[in-house]
Amino acid sequence: MTFFCRMMRGLTIAAFLIATLHGATLIAAELPSDIDWLTNDTDPVYASPEAVKGGTFRDAILSFPATFRMVGPDSNNSFAGVLRSNQLGLIGIHPNTENIIPELATHWAFGQDRKTMYFKLNPAARWSDGQPVTARDFAYTIEFMRSEHIVAPFYNDYYTREIDQVIVYDDHTLAVVATKAKPDLHLTLAIGPTPRHFYGELDEDFVRKFNWKIEPNTGPYQITEFAKGKSIKLKRKRDWWAADLRYFKNRFNINTVIYTVVRDFNLQWEYFKKARIDTFPITFPDFWHVKTDIPIFQNGYVNKIWFFNDTQQSAMGLWLNQDREIFKDPNVRYAFAHAMSVEKVIEKVLRNDYFRLEHHYVGYGKYSNNAIKARRFDLQKVDEYMKKAGWIRGADGIWIKDGRRFSVEVTYGFEGHTPRLVVLKEEAKKAGIELRLQKLDSAASFKKFLEKKHDVAWMGWSTGLRPSFWQHYHSINAHKPQTNNITNTDDPELDKMIDAYRNSLDENERIQLSLKIQEKLQEIGSFVPTFMVPYIRQAFWRWWRLPHIPGTKTTENLFDPFGSSSGGLFWYDKDLHEETKKAMKNKVKFPAVTLIEETYKMKFLENTKFSDIL
Amino acid sequence: MKINPLTIKKIQRFKSIKRGYYSFIIFGLMICVSLFAELLVNNRALIVHYGDRYFFPTYGDMIPGRTFGLDYDYETNYRELAKHFAQDGSGNWVLMPPVPYNAYENDLREDQFPPFPPSGQDRHYLGTDAVGRDVVARLVYGFRIAIFFSLGLLLVNYTIGVSIGSAMGYFGGRFDLFFQRIIEIWSNVPFLYVIIIISSIMVPNFFMLILIMAFFGWIGITWTMRTITYKERAREYVLAAKGLGASNIRIIFKHIIPNTIAIIVTFAPFAVSGGIVALTSLDYLGFGLPPPTPSWGELLQQGWTNLDAWWISGSVIAAMIITLVTVTFIGEAVREAFDPKLHTVYE
Repeated sequence: MTFFCRMMRGLTIAAFLIATLHGATLIAAELPSDIDWLTNDTDPVYASPEAVKGGTFRDAILSFPATFRMVGPDSNNSFAGVLRSNQLGLIGIHPNTENIIPELATHWAFGQDRKTMYFKLNPAARWSDGQPVTARDFAYTIEFMRSEHIVAPFYNDYYTREIDQVIVYDDHTLAVVATKAKPDLHLTLAIGPTPRHFYGELDEDFVRKFNWKIEPNTGPYQITEFAKGKSIKLKRKRDWWAADLRYFKNRFNINTVIYTVVRDFNLQWEYFKKARIDTFPITFPDFWHVKTDIPIFQNGYVNKIWFFNDTQQSAMGLWLNQDREIFKDPNVRYAFAHAMSVEKVIEKVLRNDYFRLEHHYVGYGKYSNNAIKARRFDLQKVDEYMKKAGWIRGADGIWIKDGRRFSVEVTYGFEGHTPRLVVLKEEAKKAGIELRLQKLDSAASFKKFLEKKHDVAWMGWSTGLRPSFWQHYHSINAHKPQTNNITNTDDPELDKMIDAYRNSLDENERIQLSLKIQEKLQEIGSFVPTFMVPYIRQAFWRWWRLPHIPGTKTTENLFDPFGSSSGGLFWYDKDLHEETKKAMKNKVKFPAVTLIEETYKMKFLENTKFSDIL
Repeated sequence: MKINPLTIKKIQRFKSIKRGYYSFIIFGLMICVSLFAELLVNNRALIVHYGDRYFFPTYGDMIPGRTFGLDYDYETNYRELAKHFAQDGSGNWVLMPPVPYNAYENDLREDQFPPFPPSGQDRHYLGTDAVGRDVVARLVYGFRIAIFFSLGLLLVNYTIGVSIGSAMGYFGGRFDLFFQRIIEIWSNVPFLYVIIIISSIMVPNFFMLILIMAFFGWIGITWTMRTITYKERAREYVLAAKGLGASNIRIIFKHIIPNTIAIIVTFAPFAVSGGIVALTSLDYLGFGLPPPTPSWGELLQQGWTNLDAWWISGSVIAAMIITLVTVTFIGEAVREAFDPKLHTVYE
């Protein structure tokens, strides 16, 4: 055993020597002289100066992570978000202005070739084990992510296909080079460091060896204790190197964060009611309206907040397969859209809590064409379009043409959506369209969509920072399985615009194209947008305090203790905690509190009255 | 038609078992009523008197609202029409069924959210489910589907199971051995999981679901049939038939099966209740017939998620108890009536 260890150490030293020599050749590279260094110390800060440090925050997780690795098998579990939030990147994005802000780098610059970015590291940056963060740690990221030993084909591919190389100039200066010139370069090149001193030379044992090792990180918290299957404890770093940076100041206030495994959502709710966890998501209408109508809320011990954010909205709706004979006629597609009584579903089933999604790309800032409005339920228009397309009403009231009825299958994958669909179905019947509902297992339904075997797909797509038209609407992805163009949209004019959008490096041009493409998509009409939920709703015990504006445009969880962009804004108020404990003991009541925060509410939603709902 | 005196005796015996006999009458009535459910539980009117014409919309094509002077082309809302006629005093009238809702329509209201509790005034006698559909309507149409599903399943199961079981008993030997092993292997397949897997990748319709369930359901009766046939084939009438040169198929279907009918009949009611339970549990899990088919299992699921809406789970549980109890009583009575100890004379 001793011999083995010694041998291992020998190998590590050898590897280190090779690495140093390898690095030395890179250091020889010359930094271009015409670099225009940029930084950002002028954007508004969004943390509260009132915030104080302290307290223990408890939250629940549904299952214990299968590993603490951030790459490799089982690493993409729900806890990975916590780990990733505590690993900073070179630069961040300001959540409200979308400008670049410093993280590990203090300065950055764009190369003339439009595929290189230069960075100056913050010399104070430290790993959680005290080692300084150097440019070599970024070079190591490339080596690490491309290694076959990490068993992560996605990262292997991404770091090969997207990123060409990292050039180290000195300890604190580096360049990251993309494989090709592209717009929004900073979104691709803001990679994170990987601690070379921790991993050393990788071997095929990596997956097993590092399964439960805690990787040194650069963010505000680090795991200090864990009991497998039960709980994980993270502690705030007392002398965190970035604590006083402009955009991190007054944030990350909680001393200790404890995640307990509670394997059932409803049980977590019971934990919350007993104050054994501190916050609970109550976005679902039944939670917000019914289940929170209990004494701890009525007596003001627990507060509710309804927070509107302004982020990219998932494109949820009905996707018409244009390879089906019936949907080849645009008039029929328009008629179908006008036959969907989405407003009625929102009003009668969803308690007016959801909003009508107007088009595929809502919430993309300047890239969204908000002049576009979804086609509303309108029997008159259905009539017009169907007659124009040469259909007549059959004896059972359903449109008919050449002996075929307007009867289409709507495939979906979530039992919980059945109530919405049965209402749509009944209303569509009035418009002379028969919907046949087909509920599949969610994986099976998605498979069916990707194989383009559906008539109408009921689903939502996840979002990115910028609209991505190519995957959903370019003809190159139409008429073949396993692509995201599930409407089989195939339009030469649209293709041209999408290609131009993809190839353009000019932001203004891209925005103009984006708006035009969305107009064209509306004209094609292969997607019927349904709902969006441009807000979050949470319940929290009253001793947790939030800033005056409690979150940012992109906040997904007001009580996220870590996230480098919007996390860690809340803090613990010891006096309020004592007061509340005493009040609960003596049965003293406080006024019930329901906060509605509309600072970031999307402009076009403003006509909706909320007093009616509450 | 001449009825076998033995059969008459059995029927009389069955009638004399009051509990079973009344259950049989109730059950028969339930089926008959469900066959004509459109006349009792429906959103289409029974009779509309408009102008000097009478309309009977129940079984015909859709009648658009414009026919009755309303301003829309989709199907007439007869409940609204009734109110409308009552107000305008034109002498027109509408006769609605006792429960004026069908199993699919959502009765949604302003500023109120379903499920709505039972109300005689709205004629939602058992309230509505979580999307505003009438519970009575869902129960009645759900019953019709469940009972015919169950009978269909019974027919398919028994046709396969009885044939194979008798063949095993009749031929014996290697044929019997071979099928015994097949059945042993087959019965070890976890059938619920297989059904769940199948119905999560394709949504089965009524007949497909019967076929899928029969795929595993035929096994039960084979063992019994096999044993009985072993006994029967050694008896004189079989030997006589053989002596007269009857074919194997003729002997099995014309001689042996009619003589074992008592056994088959006694098992049948229990198979029916089994079928109802199977369909209900599959629907409950969301793997049965596709929504929005009215179904007890789906109602039960809704009742579970909306526990405070007691009328949903209460109605469906009561309906299930009534149905299963009557079927079980019938089964017990049939078994008693067909009990061979009363009728067979041993030599």
